[in-house]
Amino acid sequence: MAVINYAQKVINFKVVYYGPGLAGKTANLQHIHNSLPDGSKGKLISLAAGDDRTLFFDFLPVSALTVRGFTAKFQLYTVPGQLYYNMTRKLVLRGADGMVFVADSQWDRLRENVESFRNLEENLREYKTSLDDMPYVIQYNKRDLSNIAPLEYMEFLLNRRARRVPSFEATAVNGDGVFDTLNTVSRMVLVGEFSQEKGEHCETA
Amino acid sequence: MRLHDVVIHEGDAEKINAVLTTFLGESGATEALLIDRSGQLLAATGANRALDTVSISALAAGAFSSTGALARLLGEEEFTVLFHQGNKESIHVSTVDDQAILLAIFGGQTTVGMVRLFAKEAATAIGQILTESRAKPRSMGDLSTPLTVDESRTTFGEPTKP
Repeated sequence: MAVINYAQKVINFKVVYYGPGLAGKTANLQHIHNSLPDGSKGKLISLAAGDDRTLFFDFLPVSALTVRGFTAKFQLYTVPGQLYYNMTRKLVLRGADGMVFVADSQWDRLRENVESFRNLEENLREYKTSLDDMPYVIQYNKRDLSNIAPLEYMEFLLNRRARRVPSFEATAVNGDGVFDTLNTVSRMVLVGEFSQEKGEHCETA
Repeated sequence: MRLHDVVIHEGDAEKINAVLTTFLGESGATEALLIDRSGQLLAATGANRALDTVSISALAAGAFSSTGALARLLGEEEFTVLFHQGNKESIHVSTVDDQAILLAIFGGQTTVGMVRLFAKEAATAIGQILTESRAKPRSMGDLSTPLTVDESRTTFGEPTKP
């Protein structure tokens, strides 16, 4: 759910990076944070455990363009990927306007990707929403490694819903594909917010 | 519960700020933040120091929702107050309604009891304003028509070169 502030002329959106543990969700936010100029980003906050794995979430606020006099701001979150952190994952999902599913392309991680995707669908159901209503993109990360599944197979596993969504190959640690992903999901969120269909669904806040 | 957009119209923003200002005066707190439970800042009033209110909002909403999950594990519906005590400054977070929370920052010039007392009153008043606000149309004026292709070109950084 977006927060539209007519007094401050700001529209805030929440975009959540979802996916299995060690897929590179935090690496995406770190690259975005390292690349953007100071004026268009806030602090990157990482709530991580001692081994640097995300415990609760990472958080990075970024600003995009001005739309009809309103500044569009996006708050980027990651969830903890490990299976047993599902309760905290659900909390972070609350109010998401868009999603990036970050998949690990390695053969031996394919099962974790599928489980995480199913887990995302289940958790969205608890908020009475689904990927059918939510702008999202898929990022196939770690494409620089040698033991990776072909792109077509990744698509077959993860991008097989009735609505095919944009997907990107990425190597988040060195930035490849990170901004293609962010630019696309933010555009989808923005267009969805202003679409006639959403206007009718959300006539009242 | 499916979540809908939160819309703060100019008139609502003025009313909320007036309630928060009164709350600060009565409670002795230095800053008050109205925060959506998904982590987004709705309104802020208080001392003019450079606080990172965006980060504070995300972290407070996370802490409060985590506390709520703890409550449900114990069979409670919710813990309605969260209190962090520091050496010089403390934070009091309390429920406004099922979509918003109120965060107050205060120092040694007042007590948690005073903050808690007046936070309850402020929460009731703000809850009413938010309820009225939710009954108004979501989009008005410039925001009521679909974006053109050019208007939706959000670009944060350079795309990867093929």
